[in-house]
Amino acid sequence: MRRAKMKRMIMMLLVSAAMTAQANAASVTNKDAETQVLVVVEDGSRAEIALEPGTTETICPSGCFLTMPNGDRIALGGGEEVEIKGGEALVK
Amino acid sequence: MPISRLLSILLAVFLLAASPAGAQTAPTVATDVGTQLDQANAGLTTAGKQLDDIRKQVDAYETDDNRLVDLKVEAETLNRSILAISVALRPRLDAIKARQTELGDPPADGEPAESAVVVEERKKLSAERNQINALTGEAENLSIEATKLSNRITEIRRQLFSEALLKRTEITPDLFSDAATAIDAEARTLQRTVTAWLQFVWKFKRLQLLAAVSLSLMAALVLLTGSYRLFSPYITRVAQQEKPHYITRLSVAFWSTVLPTAAAGAFAGTSYFFMDAFKVLRPDTAPMLAVALAVMVGIFFVGQLANAVLSPGDGNWRLVRVSDHGARLLWLLIFSMVIVNGADYFLGTISETLGSPVILTVVKSFFASIIIGLLLLVTAFVQPVLRRGEAPESQGHQWPRSVFVLLVLTGLGLILASLLGYVGLARFVAAQIVVTGAILVTMYIGFLSGRAVSANNAFGATAVGKRLEERFGLSPIVLDQIGLVSGLSIYLLIIVLFLPMIFLQWGFQIADIESWAYRIFTEIRIGSITISLVGILAGIVLFALGFIVTRWFQKWVDGNVLARSQVDAGVRNSVRTAVGYAGVALAGLIGISAAGINLSSLALVAGALSLGIGFGLQNIVSNFVSGLILLAERPFKVGDWVVAGTTEGFVRRISVRATEIETFQRQTVIVPNSVLINGQVGNWTHRNKLGRIDIALSVHAGNDPRQVQEVIADVVRGQQGLLRNPEPVVVFQAFSAATLDFEIRAFLADILNGTAVKSELRAAILERFRADGIAMSGPAAPEVPVKISPEGALLLSTLLEQATDKLAKPAAARNRKPAQDPSDA
Repeated sequence: MRRAKMKRMIMMLLVSAAMTAQANAASVTNKDAETQVLVVVEDGSRAEIALEPGTTETICPSGCFLTMPNGDRIALGGGEEVEIKGGEALVK
Repeated sequence: MPISRLLSILLAVFLLAASPAGAQTAPTVATDVGTQLDQANAGLTTAGKQLDDIRKQVDAYETDDNRLVDLKVEAETLNRSILAISVALRPRLDAIKARQTELGDPPADGEPAESAVVVEERKKLSAERNQINALTGEAENLSIEATKLSNRITEIRRQLFSEALLKRTEITPDLFSDAATAIDAEARTLQRTVTAWLQFVWKFKRLQLLAAVSLSLMAALVLLTGSYRLFSPYITRVAQQEKPHYITRLSVAFWSTVLPTAAAGAFAGTSYFFMDAFKVLRPDTAPMLAVALAVMVGIFFVGQLANAVLSPGDGNWRLVRVSDHGARLLWLLIFSMVIVNGADYFLGTISETLGSPVILTVVKSFFASIIIGLLLLVTAFVQPVLRRGEAPESQGHQWPRSVFVLLVLTGLGLILASLLGYVGLARFVAAQIVVTGAILVTMYIGFLSGRAVSANNAFGATAVGKRLEERFGLSPIVLDQIGLVSGLSIYLLIIVLFLPMIFLQWGFQIADIESWAYRIFTEIRIGSITISLVGILAGIVLFALGFIVTRWFQKWVDGNVLARSQVDAGVRNSVRTAVGYAGVALAGLIGISAAGINLSSLALVAGALSLGIGFGLQNIVSNFVSGLILLAERPFKVGDWVVAGTTEGFVRRISVRATEIETFQRQTVIVPNSVLINGQVGNWTHRNKLGRIDIALSVHAGNDPRQVQEVIADVVRGQQGLLRNPEPVVVFQAFSAATLDFEIRAFLADILNGTAVKSELRAAILERFRADGIAMSGPAAPEVPVKISPEGALLLSTLLEQATDKLAKPAAARNRKPAQDPSDA
């Protein structure tokens, strides 16, 4: 009985961990004081996303192209964390 | 996904290794970077060319579904490679940016100008940055185009499918006369082609043909005999079984359909493969042969299945309740349908390969669909159904109304669709009815047999179960578990085998199914959460491996290291438990990270849980910590005799949350560790097993206390198992009018023997008391003093004497005793 309880606990932990896991998507965080607009090209379509200061957005689960506010273009393979500082991208 | 992760890590390492090299030495930078950019440029140019190529091919093969699937896969791969090229440019961009930051802003007007070298570098850097941005932009456009192309291919394929289905041909008398001429031409072409091919084969490729056929026959035979060897009792109908069990019937039906079909399929596949490999086939005959083989396998499959389900020859093996006559009729109808359908497909392929006019195919399918529609109508009017309990030989009844209506409607629908000119649709529906129906029925039987096998205690009753039981002596529980596992694996087998077949039937291509399967296994996306089945499976496997290794290590440490080093049992137990938990935790962490779950997200979970721990899990955590303290401090060890509250018994197991105590009545009490840590715990055998036993004794008050004490002390001294030092003591505890009370206090080397020694000692003392005449208690009746006058006494004694004299004469011996009693009184 105790073991079953233990197992259930482990299962619970695992499941909740799995729920929080974001395996492959990239995330963009705006560290600037003003709203930044990015152009994301994903799945053959171009979309603009506006990022409020300090917010983080999860984008392109399977790779995409980003155009930063300063005109730089970068490609993401998925799983990166991008920070925007002064309109520039800092990829981690 | 772990592979992709590994690759990305490798890539990152590679890039990390590469980028500082670029930053340090300026001359190499230029060449390095130059080549890197050139490479990217060249890669993108090639990708652009490939994209154009794919686009051209899409235009060229707009009607070829197979080709389109391949092209779509190519387009997607290209898209990925474009992305990879641009991702590889990123580190260089970062390096440029870093260098530009280092250089700082150019001097404003009025400030002293920079040196020419710096100005030059500034220019170069910004030019390069622009170049990278331009390249990435190009890649972006290419990627958009590739995605659009791939979407367009999907759209084209969808249209192709619906066009093929819903294309309408006007059915006119002209059509048939045209077809008649065409069929004449086609027959002649076919004859010419086949004869030419046969002659070619006979003259030049005789050996190869023979080799191909014999090799494939061999493969099929190996498969067939092997499977029969393995499964023979379970797939052949054994005559001796009068009334076979339902599971037996199901499994025989399922396996006798699947295995021979698999063998036939293997034969067809290998013979085609070998013929192709030995160049026996020619482009004109290859498709015909392929379709002929496939159609034969299909017919064989449906025939086998119908045989298995309907069992026209033997009513006992029938899976459905139909009469003998009905079963024969149904079998015939189903078989005819599949033959017509197969012939339709075969003839259609011949027309296609020989380049005959389309109307020929249309007309063939027209007739085939009408025949199948008619057959369905006939089926509707067959009366095969038996009611419960009716013998197979008896007359059948009509179909249930719903089945009847469905059959009639489908039959009429097929005929009507063909007559209206929707031949493609009719043909598709007819094929679905026959082939998809057969696959679904097989799946259903498989599911039923899986369910029947995994039902409670059902597996033990089957032949396999009995054989396993005899062979390995398995218990019913194990057999039941095996049954469950085999039931589940049958489910899995069915899904893996038959679902793709149905999708293939519906016009999907193998590449489609592959990409689905790949996607299902690598990433299932729910919102922004991506779950990878492969990753999770890998995690579970790694965890299981870690668990096994832990157990093995635990055993090794316990058996080889701790046992040899003669450590105390408590330490041994603690070390073993600690090793076990540490190993499981480690395995868990490895498993979790292999499953692609970020450990930092675990911290989040732990944070969320800490609130829960504050409230609900408080007890569990307190027990857990107490368990750790118990393991470290070891107030008792396994085997100790402890008293915790009202629980007294031997410790059987100390684990991290609770401790098992087995009472003397063999009841196992599970005591939470916090109770053992917070409460008082008595341990009889903590440092040693030395212990005192107390035995209380009482003797009659008439005895001499010193004599009794001496006697008892003597017996105690002679008792085995008691310690001489500390010396046993006999205490005179109390006396009353009736008894003298003593207590023996003696020490034992092993308190666990206490009960036995106590009992021994009591027996010895009692024996000694009896031998020495020490009364344990007073007489049964108390002595009562009687006062009597001397005259009265004289009178009584004379009376007694007279009576005695009288009585003594007839039976002196017997009567003396009652006469004495009053005198005593």
